[in-house]
Amino acid sequence: MTLRELPLKDLQDPTDLLNEVLTETGDEFVELRYHRKRTRSISVEKGRVDQAKISEHTGVGVRVLAQGTWGFASTDRFEKAAVRRALEAARSAAISSASARLNKTAPLPKVDLARGLFELPGTGELIARPLEESLDMVMRLESQARQASTSIQSAGCGYTEIFEEKGVVTSDGAKAWTRLVRPEFRISAVAQKDGEIQRGSESVGATGGWDCLFRNATAESLADKAAKRAVDLLSAGYPEGGRKKVLLSPSLVGLLTHEAVGHTVEADFVMSGSVAAGKLGTRVASDLVTLCDSGISEYYEGAGGSMMIDDEGVPTQNTVIVKDGILKSYLHDRESAAHFEVEPTGNARAWEYDNEPLIRMRNTFIAPGDSTLEEMIAGTEDGLLLDGPANGQADSNGEFMFGTHEAYQIKDGKLGPLMRGVNISGVAFDVLQTVDRVGKDFVWDLGSGHCGKGQPAKVDAGGPWLSCEVVVGGRGA
Amino acid sequence: MSSQELQAPPFNPEQEESRLLDRCEQLVEMAVSGGAEEAEAFGTFSQVSCVSFEKGDLKMAQVDDGTSIGLRVFKNGKLGFTSTNQTEVSSLEEAARDACTLADFSVADEMNQLPEAHPLSQQTGSLVQAEVGSFGLEQVVECGREFVERTSARDPRIAIDKADAQASRISVAVHSTTGVHFSESDASIGLSVFGMAVDGDDVGGFDYWGGNVRDLSRLAALTDETIERFSDAVLGNLKAGAAESYTGPVLFSPAAFLSCFVSPVVSASSAIAVQRGRSALAGKLGEAFADSRLSITDDPTDLELSGAGCFDREGQPTTRFSLVEGGVLKSYLYNAYAAKVDKCESTGHASGGARSVPGLGPHAISVAAGSDGDQAAMLKALDRGLFVQRFSGTVDPASGDFSGVAKSARWVENGQVVRSLKETLISGNAFELLNRVGALSSTRELIFSSARAPFALIDGLSVTAG
Repeated sequence: MTLRELPLKDLQDPTDLLNEVLTETGDEFVELRYHRKRTRSISVEKGRVDQAKISEHTGVGVRVLAQGTWGFASTDRFEKAAVRRALEAARSAAISSASARLNKTAPLPKVDLARGLFELPGTGELIARPLEESLDMVMRLESQARQASTSIQSAGCGYTEIFEEKGVVTSDGAKAWTRLVRPEFRISAVAQKDGEIQRGSESVGATGGWDCLFRNATAESLADKAAKRAVDLLSAGYPEGGRKKVLLSPSLVGLLTHEAVGHTVEADFVMSGSVAAGKLGTRVASDLVTLCDSGISEYYEGAGGSMMIDDEGVPTQNTVIVKDGILKSYLHDRESAAHFEVEPTGNARAWEYDNEPLIRMRNTFIAPGDSTLEEMIAGTEDGLLLDGPANGQADSNGEFMFGTHEAYQIKDGKLGPLMRGVNISGVAFDVLQTVDRVGKDFVWDLGSGHCGKGQPAKVDAGGPWLSCEVVVGGRGA
Repeated sequence: MSSQELQAPPFNPEQEESRLLDRCEQLVEMAVSGGAEEAEAFGTFSQVSCVSFEKGDLKMAQVDDGTSIGLRVFKNGKLGFTSTNQTEVSSLEEAARDACTLADFSVADEMNQLPEAHPLSQQTGSLVQAEVGSFGLEQVVECGREFVERTSARDPRIAIDKADAQASRISVAVHSTTGVHFSESDASIGLSVFGMAVDGDDVGGFDYWGGNVRDLSRLAALTDETIERFSDAVLGNLKAGAAESYTGPVLFSPAAFLSCFVSPVVSASSAIAVQRGRSALAGKLGEAFADSRLSITDDPTDLELSGAGCFDREGQPTTRFSLVEGGVLKSYLYNAYAAKVDKCESTGHASGGARSVPGLGPHAISVAAGSDGDQAAMLKALDRGLFVQRFSGTVDPASGDFSGVAKSARWVENGQVVRSLKETLISGNAFELLNRVGALSSTRELIFSSARAPFALIDGLSVTAG
C-alpha cells in the first residue's frame, strides 16, 4: 500500500450542517467555524527518520455575543448535536461572565460577508503526491548537505504539508468554506572545526503546490546553501556593533515589516496604546516606503500567509498600511473595525478550531522601488549587507529586534568578506524614516515562518532589498 | 436545555484516565492487528475554563474540552506516527492504518525500539487538589476580574493589553506493547498578564508575567506576585534612554539568565544533540565546563513547577536528576532512542504531547542559588552597568552564541537603578561566559512556574547601545 492510497477524507462543504444548527439560535450574534487541519510531516537527521507523521485536528469553534459579552466553546465532533451543545456552552459562558464586562460590546455592524467556496490551488496536487517521494527527497538532500564538506557533523531536513478546510457561518450572513494547502521545506547543517560549531539553515514555505514552494530556489540549491553557510561561518569574524547603514535582504525586509510595523498596527494592540496609536495620517516613514498586508499573494502566486476569507467570513484584501510614508490604516477584525468606524480588513485568524480568531497579519510587504542591488552596494560608503532571517520580536514602544544569519561588510561601495550574523534593533518608525533606497526586485521570503501571539499563525512577508539605518549588536563594540 | 445541563461535567480524574487508557489500549491493538511489531499510544484529555481580558475589560469567557491520541508504531525498525482528536472507532482504525502504512515506507533504524515498563518512583495522584479540580467558570471569572482590577489600580499609567485567568484539568495516559500502562492527572489555576505603561506620548516597552498553582491556598500569593512583578517592570520601562556601549559585567534576572545561559546548557545536554554532532558539551561528561557555583537539576518532584509528573512521554519513571553539579556535567538527558544508541537506560526525559513523536527535554529545571545576597546585593555587586530583566534574541544551542535585545533593561550606577534603557543589544557565548560568573544570588525566582533560577552577574558581555 502506498500513501497515494491514503486519501484525505472527501472534501465536503461543511457549512450546510453548521447552517442547520444556526437556524435554531435566538437574537444573539453567533459564529460557527468548522476547521479540519491535517498535517503530513517527515523529518530526517543524520540519516535517521525522526518523524514520519500524519496528524488530524478537527472540530468546530463557536462564538456567541450575548448580553454584550463574548462566549466561546468548541467541540471535536462535527455533528449537529455536538455543535448545538457547544453553542449553548458558549452562550452560557457569555451570559455567566457578562456581569464582569464593563463596556458592553455593541452588535457588530453589517458588512459584506463571504458566501460560497473559496479555494486556493495546490490541494489536489499535493494530496496526489506520494509521501514516499517526499521521504526520498528529504533523505537525499539531508545526505547531500551532510556530505558537502568534511567539516559538517550533521544535517537535518524536513518537509511538511498542512491541509486546511474551513467553513464559517454567522447569524448575519456569512456562509463560506475554503480549502488550501501550505507546504514547507527546511534544511540545516552543522559544521564543526577546532571546537567551534556553526549552523547553516534554509527554509521555504508557500500556500499552493510544488511549483510555488520551489519557485525561487530548488531544494538542491537550498541544501548546498545551508551547508556552505555552516562551513563558511566557521572562519567568519564578528562585525563591530553600533548604529549602522545596512542593506537588508528581502527576507529581512519581510521581518522588518512584520516585526517592526505590522504588530504595532494590529488594531487590538493600537487600542492598548501601541506606538501607532493616534498616528493615522501622519508621516511614519520615508516617502520611499509603501507597506501593505494582503490576504492575496501580490506580485506572484504562493505567498505563505494567503487566504481568501478570514475566520470571521470577511473577504480579504490588500490593506495599504503606509502609503508613500504616511500611515493610512490599521489591521482589523470586525469588532475593532466597528470601534474605529472603518471596514474590516479580513485579518481575523484562528490557528485551530479551538482557538478564538485574533487580529493577525497575512502577507506583509514593502512595495518595490527602482534601485538595483548593485547600485545600493555601490552607494554605501560604510555599512553591512545582511541576509538570512532568524527570530524576531516587536515591542509596544515600536522597538524591534531580529536576528540575521550572515553579514558582509561594505566599505566604499565594495562588498567585503562574510561575517557572522548579528541581531539588529531599532525603533520602527525611526528606522523607516531612514530608508533611502528601495530595490526593484520583489521576493516573498518568510513563508516557512510562524508568528506567535498566544497562538501561532502561518504568515509570509517580503519585499525588495532596502537601505536603512539600524542598531547592530556585534562584538567588540 | 437548563443551565445545569450546560455546565461542564465535574472533572473526574479516575474516570478520564480510565477512558483514555481504554482508548490507548484499543488503538495499540488495532496497530498490532495492522502489522505493527511494537506500538505505543499516548493520550491526553484537557478541560479548560478560561476568561480573557483586553484593555482592562473582560473580553471573552471560554470553555473547552478535548482529547488527542498519538500512536507510534515500529515495523522492522521503521517508524510510523499518527495523531488524531477524533476518537470514534472508525477514526482510530484510520489512525492505526496510516501509522502502519507510514512505517512500511519509512527507513529502518535498529535503534527504534519501545522501552520496557519500569515501576514509577513517585506515586501518581498528587497533582489534583479537589478544590482546583472543581474550580468553575464563575470562579475563574471572579479570580480574573479581581486580578485585572488590582493590576489596573496599581497605577493609572498601566495599560493591560491582554490578561487571562484559567482553570485547567489534564489527564494523560500511555500504553504500549512493551508493558507500559500508566496514567495521571493534573489540575491548576493560572494567571497571566501582558501589557505596558503609557504616560502621555511616552509608551514604555511591554512585559508579561504569570504562573500556575496546583494548591488553591497559593493563588493569593501568585496574584500578588504577578501584579507586583508586572507592574514594576512596565512602569520601570517608561522614560527609556540610551545605555553605554562596553564590554564587561552584566546583571541578569533569573528569567534572562535562564534564556541566555541555562537553556543552551540544557539543550547541549541532550544525548541526541551529542550523538548527532551539534552539542558543545560532547565529550565533556564529568568535566568542569562552568563556574563551580553552577548546579542545575531537573526536578519533576517539585510540585510548584508545572512540569512535575511521575512519568515521561514514553511512560518511563521520572525522578530528581542532577544535570550539572559544581560546574561539572554529571549526565546527558536520554529518552529511549538516545539511550539505545549509547547502550544505557533512559533517564526519563522523553518529552512532548500526543500530537508528535516523543522528543527529548527536561521537565522542571531548577538552578541552585548562590550565596551573594538578594537582588539589591547583586545590583551593588554590579556597581555600574547593565541589568537585563528579559532577553529577546537568538540563542544558538549548538554553539552557545547568543545575541539580542536587553528588555526591561536598566542602567545601574553606584549599585542603584538610575534609568530604563532602549535599543540595547547584548551578545556573548554561554559556554565561555559561564566561566566568568561574578556572583549568584542567594534568592531565586519561580519563572512562569516552569523553572527556578537565581540572579547572575556575568562578566565579558558585549553591550551595544543604540
